[in-house]
Amino acid sequence: MTHTVLVCDDAIFMRTMISDILSQAGFEVVGEAESGLQAVEKYRELKPDLVTMDIVMPDMGGIEAVREICKSDPEAKILMCSAMGQQALVVEAIQAGAKDFVVKPFQPSRVLEAVQRVLA
Amino acid sequence: MDLSKYATLFLAESREHLKACNSSLLEWEKEPAGVEPVDRLFRAIHTIKGMAATMGYSAVAQLSHGIENLLAGLRKGRLEGSPAVFQLLFRAIDTLGKSVEAAAAGAEEPPDEALLAELEREANPAAGGPAAAPEAPTPTRRISDAPRSRPIQVTIRPGAVMRGARAALVLRRAETLGAVNTVRPALAELERDDFDGRFSFRLQTRSSDLEITAALRAVGDVETVEIVEPAAAGGDSQPGANRQIRVDLRRLDLLMKQVGELVVAKNRLGVLAMESRNPVLMEVSERVNRLVSSMQGEVLASRMTPVGEVFERFPRLVRDLSRELGKQIRFDTEGDEIELDRSILDEIGEPLVHLIRNAADHGLESAADRTAAGKPGEGRILISAARERNTVAIRVTDDGRGIDRDRILAKARREGMAPETDTLTDDLLVRVLARPGFSTARQVSGVSGRGVGVDVAMSRVRALGGTLEVRSELGRGTTFLIRVPLTLAIVRALLTEAGGERYAVPLAYVAETIDFDRAMVTALRDREALVVRDEVIPTVHLRDLIAARAGSRSNRRPTVILEVGERRAALVVDALVGQQDIVVEPFDAPRGLPSFVGGATILADGAPALILDAAALL
Repeated sequence: MTHTVLVCDDAIFMRTMISDILSQAGFEVVGEAESGLQAVEKYRELKPDLVTMDIVMPDMGGIEAVREICKSDPEAKILMCSAMGQQALVVEAIQAGAKDFVVKPFQPSRVLEAVQRVLA
Repeated sequence: MDLSKYATLFLAESREHLKACNSSLLEWEKEPAGVEPVDRLFRAIHTIKGMAATMGYSAVAQLSHGIENLLAGLRKGRLEGSPAVFQLLFRAIDTLGKSVEAAAAGAEEPPDEALLAELEREANPAAGGPAAAPEAPTPTRRISDAPRSRPIQVTIRPGAVMRGARAALVLRRAETLGAVNTVRPALAELERDDFDGRFSFRLQTRSSDLEITAALRAVGDVETVEIVEPAAAGGDSQPGANRQIRVDLRRLDLLMKQVGELVVAKNRLGVLAMESRNPVLMEVSERVNRLVSSMQGEVLASRMTPVGEVFERFPRLVRDLSRELGKQIRFDTEGDEIELDRSILDEIGEPLVHLIRNAADHGLESAADRTAAGKPGEGRILISAARERNTVAIRVTDDGRGIDRDRILAKARREGMAPETDTLTDDLLVRVLARPGFSTARQVSGVSGRGVGVDVAMSRVRALGGTLEVRSELGRGTTFLIRVPLTLAIVRALLTEAGGERYAVPLAYVAETIDFDRAMVTALRDREALVVRDEVIPTVHLRDLIAARAGSRSNRRPTVILEVGERRAALVVDALVGQQDIVVEPFDAPRGLPSFVGGATILADGAPALILDAAALL
């Protein structure tokens, strides 16, 4: 069965890149969100198997969105996408409930490894 | 299940919690608005209750339940901490302490119903039915089923990005298996960029080691998961992550004694090996020597205990004294972390209690007198520990009225123990104060009452090979200084010879050795003294002390400069024999033994020798 994914990032470039990596690996990207608020709404609506979440986004950041999503679904599988130098924020996201993280610039293999771990 | 073997553990843990109770209660009383102390108090009592219920000690469980009940009300702010309530809690915790001891000794008595009723009344002032109580004593969680605390060490793959965040993930995963604590380095440190990827924590879990390893490795970028003691793994970067066991002190005493005998045997072996001139034997002897030395060091280290363990009980003492005497007293401690041999620490509590009582009772003035003297109304007592060479110095200082030397001198004269001098130096003062019975006749109150307990303190400290000194300034305050060796039993000593006999001087009190030279002799207040680098040091001739006839007195003789605190003396001997670890033998001093003998030992060649008490030679 194909896993469904919700991709959250405020940059179209990043959303496209992540979507491509995941689609090529056989995942079904069912939705995209460009803000934390949207991420929370779409998660409720789509119930995806996996969420990739940027940390810094307008209208509720990624960490806040993780917290909101995990509040309604503690089993939510969220993969944080972070830039270098955001370690403290990543730790915060993990404490909020994120299950793993990848660091930009992305290497497709690293992203897929992380996704496999999260879905395992 | 036979629970009796847990009684010792129950007792030891309960005692610790009770100590914590006392200190939390004191803290809370000082600052009734504080939340921390009452929380700690609550947890400690709760733990005792749980343990007691498990052990079937119903009186302890009932009493702790009563206390907990009252604390619950106070904690929620439903009740207020009035002086009466604090007093009741102090009393209840004292009773709980006795009850714990009795229960563990197998002599549990029924609970104090009156006290329980009082606690109940305070907890429910509305006199309605019992308020929502915390859960009643729930006994018996089977100990064998309890989760085990596993020490876990994890290394993140060196090349991994954001190793700290990876570590956070590992910890999150661990939390799905049980309770995580004692994370080293702390999480905040993990977030730093220079975090090397090695960290440790403890996991309270029912999962098997295999399950733990598998779960944590699955986090990704995890190089190793080890379930071992950090020390065993050579992990020195995890301070504080040490594991401890409780050992009956008697076992350590026995071990110490055996190591002591081993040291004597080793020394003897060393001498024999030397005499044999057999290189193989000498090599073996050298090896034994090194092994025994390192073993001795380990055994000594295992006995070292922070003085804070004794200091801990003083705030309560001072609080009670302050109430009893109607004085405001601020009490502080310093150097709680300084370590001493357990057996010395056990002995030192009582002398300190005497000195603190003295300071509170006789040293500190009433608030009115203090204000009149331009001092703050609140008196101050400070107890501080410091490591000074091979000794630990513990000072009990008050900012009170100081000792009135003229009155002490006058009184000493009246009692026929007047020193010949007109002024009472600090040295003389402590000797006068410490004369047994000096001030037990307390016709003259206040200052002259100061001697009470000083003689007791002095004899206890001397028995430990320590010294007691006093510094006092009229109107400014008094400091008593107890100086004790770091360890008993085995001390490094300088062996000297006089009149054909050997005498050991503990190295802790040896400042240096020089040659006695007639040209350096001078006089200090009618006493012979030596001038050493412009300092005048009174001499003591060991030959004279022991009335030696054997051997001859040469002109140039070795001299040992003894130093106790700031006082010095030059001990002139016939010869220096060398240094040796000596085992101080328990010693019942025969009558008439001179005061400068502090103990006895068996030397490496099997001959007995006396140990000189440096303080008595000054």
